[in-house]
Amino acid sequence: MLTSPRGSIQVNRVWKRFRADQTAPTLAAEASRLRDRLAGRPDDNHWRWVLRDISCSIAPGEAVGLVGTNGSGKSTLLRLLSRVMYPYAGDIRMNGRVGALIEIDAGFHPELTGRENIYLYGSLAGLSDRETRARFDSIVEFAGLESAIDRQVKYYSTGMRMRLGFTVAVSTEPEVLLVDEVLAVGDSSFQARCMARITSAIKDGTTVVLVSHDLLSVQAVCSRVLWIDDGVVKADGPTDRSLTAYRNAVELQAKDDAEVGPVEFVGGSVERPGGGSPTTQGAAQFHLELKARSQVNARVYLGVSQGTAIPIFTMRHELNMAPGVVRLEGRIERIPLARGEYHVWMDVLQDDGTLLMDWQPVMQFNVEGPSLHGAPTGVVRLAPIHVDSDWEV
Amino acid sequence: MAEMGQLAEAPRAQTPATVPLSPEPLTRYRHRVRFRESMPELWRARTLVGRLAVRQLKSRYRRAILGFGWAIVTPVALTLTFTFILSRVIKVPTAGVPYPIFFYVGLLAWTFFANAIGTGSGSLLENMGLLKRAYVTREVFPLATIVVAVVDFATAAAVLLVMLPLFHFMPRITAFWVPLYLFVQVAFTTGVVLFTATAVVYVRDVRHIIPLGIQVGIFATPVVYGLSQVPERFRLLMVAVNPLAEVIDGYRRSLLYGQGPDWTYFSVSLATAVVVLVAGYWAFKRMEDGVADIS
Repeated sequence: MLTSPRGSIQVNRVWKRFRADQTAPTLAAEASRLRDRLAGRPDDNHWRWVLRDISCSIAPGEAVGLVGTNGSGKSTLLRLLSRVMYPYAGDIRMNGRVGALIEIDAGFHPELTGRENIYLYGSLAGLSDRETRARFDSIVEFAGLESAIDRQVKYYSTGMRMRLGFTVAVSTEPEVLLVDEVLAVGDSSFQARCMARITSAIKDGTTVVLVSHDLLSVQAVCSRVLWIDDGVVKADGPTDRSLTAYRNAVELQAKDDAEVGPVEFVGGSVERPGGGSPTTQGAAQFHLELKARSQVNARVYLGVSQGTAIPIFTMRHELNMAPGVVRLEGRIERIPLARGEYHVWMDVLQDDGTLLMDWQPVMQFNVEGPSLHGAPTGVVRLAPIHVDSDWEV
Repeated sequence: MAEMGQLAEAPRAQTPATVPLSPEPLTRYRHRVRFRESMPELWRARTLVGRLAVRQLKSRYRRAILGFGWAIVTPVALTLTFTFILSRVIKVPTAGVPYPIFFYVGLLAWTFFANAIGTGSGSLLENMGLLKRAYVTREVFPLATIVVAVVDFATAAAVLLVMLPLFHFMPRITAFWVPLYLFVQVAFTTGVVLFTATAVVYVRDVRHIIPLGIQVGIFATPVVYGLSQVPERFRLLMVAVNPLAEVIDGYRRSLLYGQGPDWTYFSVSLATAVVVLVAGYWAFKRMEDGVADIS
């Protein structure tokens, strides 16, 4: 049999389930489960599937992001990859040394000092004491814990624990680096250093799997994204494509969740004057039709986003609405967005601040024009804004 | 497995829309016990076992003023109590050996066992935070508690160095047989600890049974009395079920009475200990796959 190259990950039709009822098993519940099993009935209702039929193959040196809503199973998948948990069915093949950072700290012991924990974690990762000693100073320096290293870890702040955890996990020079939702903690200067460290690890050929809700960091680091929803792979492909699909789904969900208020969105469009999709740095015309139930002094807020509730920029217009349908026209002379798919979110407030319509997605449009120049890997770009620039030597 | 038979024809497609309801039975993951792989893995983790043991010792005594002294205080206090009671109420024939010494030697082995079970059975639960976050071959946690118990055992055994001169008693030359019994003691205890450590994770009730078992066990083992007081026809059975009976008797024979091992009893106890060790390890490896699923 061919052995897969070091740093590669093969996930083949993996299933994972947990007890549906996580509370302590009582005698009665256990008895009913046993009865079902002895009777040959499936004991399915005692279990809850967390991952269903997951397959993917990750090549050495690839940087893959795992996205999905809370409870979608992405952290469980990461746990399976790190061999902390085992699948119910299917198999996972992985080659090479794994460095995993799951849930902030790498599993430090609160009673021990930072120094003792570094050695403990080192031996946990399979390093000899000599190897750990060789890395010790650079770990302490990178984590910025020079003054706290002989203090018990239980007196560390969350940020300090996370810094130590990340640094120790990276410094074992893993061939596969698994990182779960950690970039959210820690100050921004450490976040930047984390990103730089992950980027340089990718350059050195480390395989990286990154779980994060921060889509912008995922975009900055990963070349490929797996979107997992309710335990199933919904999209697996280039970062842009998967993230667009994920963002659209988030938007749809938000639309479903929005309640009907005193002001309703009836219809609308975003077009280039004369029709067609707007172009980068060209004009864009917004048409909106709103329906009000009563006479109100309203403030309409519009936000343009990539699908999520966080807009790239917002606009505001005040108007007096009579009962019935109102038409609104707006115009942007030069729209600075790069090529791509965008969404318009909107809410309406009364002048005293009462909410008349929830913040919700209402329209979608495409922008044509040049694609965005790629930012360097590891650099988080907040918004896909296109700005013309001229350079001379 | 039978309940999934009818689902074998579930669609094979990988697209999200057609994910089958449950996995095909043939793809079920089996957690196999492979000694040839797990043994080298355990050997590579030996520094980790040491570090975990050190960690446990450090954090146990960090806030205690008496520190390691507690490993001595407990058995000594027990010895004083039992000597007082047993020297007045029931006379235990010791063939000329001062009773405190006779008792203390037995208590050492028993305390080792009780300590190891007490802390070892909870070792996986206690380290859940660690083993849910980082992969490591899981037997390191119970094994670290065995190392700690050995350290405590050695500390408590050092008391004999004071006790023996105090009673003007010289240990016999046959003391060189002690390591043999020590091996049985550690092997048997390790096997039991490996088994209970996983059992506790799955069935928490075990945690409440263990202290009870330890309390009853001290009387089911010749600690306060000698093996020779057990009716002869039960002796072999006792040794076969509870190798600690032979261990304690062996310590007394070699240290206090100048006798070599009784090879029949010894081999029976050795056999039990080895079977328990291998079975305990196998059960541990077999059950470890679901440990992190249960919090």
